[in-house]
Amino acid sequence: MPDQGRLTQERLPHASPVASPLYPKPPWRLPGARVLKLVYETDAEPVLAWLPPKLTRSSPPYVVLTVAHYPESPVGPFSLASQHIGCRAGFFIRALTYHAVTDRIAALAALREVWGFPCTLGEITLDAKGQVVTASVAVGGETVAVASLSDASPIEGGSVRFDPVLNVRMTPSMEEGKQHDLLQLVQVDPDAEVRKALRGRGALRLTSASAVAPWHVLPVRYMVSAVYCTVDTELPLARFVMPY
Amino acid sequence: MKFGIIHELSVSKPWHPLSEHEVYHNALAQVELADELGFDQSWAVEHHFLEEYSHCSAPEVFLAAAAMRTKRIRLGHGIVVSLPPFNHPVRCAERAAALDIISNGRLEFGTGRSATWTELGGFRCDPDLTKEMWDEALHAIPKMWTQDTFSWEGRFFSMPERPVLPKPVQKPHPPLWVAVSSPETAIQAGERGIGCLGVSIGTPQEYKQRVEDYRRVIKTCEPVGEFVNEQVNGVTFMYVDETDEEAQTWGTKLAYSFSHLAAHLVGISSVYPTPAYKTPGLLFSVRQAAGQEKAPGGGGVIREGMAIGSPQTVIKNLKMWQEIGVDRMVLIINTGEVIPQERVLRSMHLFAEQVLPAFDKKASITLVTSPATELVEPAMP
Repeated sequence: MPDQGRLTQERLPHASPVASPLYPKPPWRLPGARVLKLVYETDAEPVLAWLPPKLTRSSPPYVVLTVAHYPESPVGPFSLASQHIGCRAGFFIRALTYHAVTDRIAALAALREVWGFPCTLGEITLDAKGQVVTASVAVGGETVAVASLSDASPIEGGSVRFDPVLNVRMTPSMEEGKQHDLLQLVQVDPDAEVRKALRGRGALRLTSASAVAPWHVLPVRYMVSAVYCTVDTELPLARFVMPY
Repeated sequence: MKFGIIHELSVSKPWHPLSEHEVYHNALAQVELADELGFDQSWAVEHHFLEEYSHCSAPEVFLAAAAMRTKRIRLGHGIVVSLPPFNHPVRCAERAAALDIISNGRLEFGTGRSATWTELGGFRCDPDLTKEMWDEALHAIPKMWTQDTFSWEGRFFSMPERPVLPKPVQKPHPPLWVAVSSPETAIQAGERGIGCLGVSIGTPQEYKQRVEDYRRVIKTCEPVGEFVNEQVNGVTFMYVDETDEEAQTWGTKLAYSFSHLAAHLVGISSVYPTPAYKTPGLLFSVRQAAGQEKAPGGGGVIREGMAIGSPQTVIKNLKMWQEIGVDRMVLIINTGEVIPQERVLRSMHLFAEQVLPAFDKKASITLVTSPATELVEPAMP
């Protein structure tokens, strides 16, 4: 009888070049992260248009926008900017990632494949000077968001909350007429220890009607809160929640 | 121990043109029946913008209609959102006094500050300041009721001397309460000598410490009103049927629907970091309850101490509240019309006929410990 191959399914994920050359296995420890977090009210229609049927919108509909810089990670320093839709999965508060941008290719691959972030490559800035924090997100040289926090004052770190993130994890299909081979909702549970936090007046401009990073689709109607904090955090193994 | 009902006036989608009309009129019929059956109080909340969860933004109108349909039951106006951006304190005092007159002195006056961004954001009210706003209004309103003329120079409102009219029928004024969803507020209720109006769906064990703290602190209180209203009110769901199985089926629908609607509101602490809202209150407790166990069809929402079951089960569950020192239980009897009205009314009948007799109402008369004035009992002028 001819010899059989020995690559079992259990050995596949990180023995395969699909994953192993680009990023190490989760969890990723991310100490000393700096995060600007803005929460704003938006319109119900785009929120419903971008929520999977198993999720429901809050009242009022809102968006959580974060711009984070991670000075240490298994793939080196990287930044991640995300626009999340505040939503509910049954009884529970969740933040569905609508769109994300990162600035490092290894992070991009892992964020997409492991955690299901709808992530694209771009440029991110995050600067804090005195009581003012500014951030910008650009894709393909086009600025899509400019955020700021001003009149900052210290606030108890424990009051800053990071909700579990939901992502639509997908693998595009090669078959004619079939869009996806894999489509599932996965949850990334936060594990964040906030060391220092400032709260202030938030401002956000979604500057461009970009086709590759359409952040303008969730317009700012009313700024709710703005926080800048230093956090020791982790990207854990994503948790499978439900088929799409 | 006394029992009452509470209405949030939840209106589930899909809505039709008479959805709200149906909910309001079903609720009024329930209040009328509660009065006939010997329930002690009927409360109506004040909420704004909370689609589906509560369409009860003008509770004084609902309560006025309830007053005209009933003779004996006390009417709980609560909580009134006692924040100047929502309600000028003078308007709170005026409306409450008018209700007390209309109802022949049956008003209970609940105060509070709202726990949702949905509401506070809607009125552009700063969440950091709501506790101080509430406290200022709470100190002012009893004076408006008892003084011939009133003036005020405060942090959040001020006014020159005016007679605030009308005056309530109950003398010196209706009993005061505050909505309590955190341990801190239970203590603050005690410090101010006002009733502790539990608004989170907890278990007796979760309430126990709050009750003890409240009883301890109120002994040395500085009353904001003319008398001390030492009472603890708990809240839970109620559905009584012949068998536990049947009651659980409908009770689960009730608790699940209520909790599901509540989960879609936006709590302050989830979007606005502030030390002024350390606990997420009601929303947290319902989510926590739902997350404890998940059963097909929405299980996991039935918790210890809920008045859901056969009459025997409900008696046993409500005794748990009595044992930890709760004076009154307010019962949520429907939400979004998830239980057909005829079943709700039948459940109320069963409760009155088979549960109420197990509790000695005489043993829990309203406690009024101030040397100030009269006993707070339903008072005909």
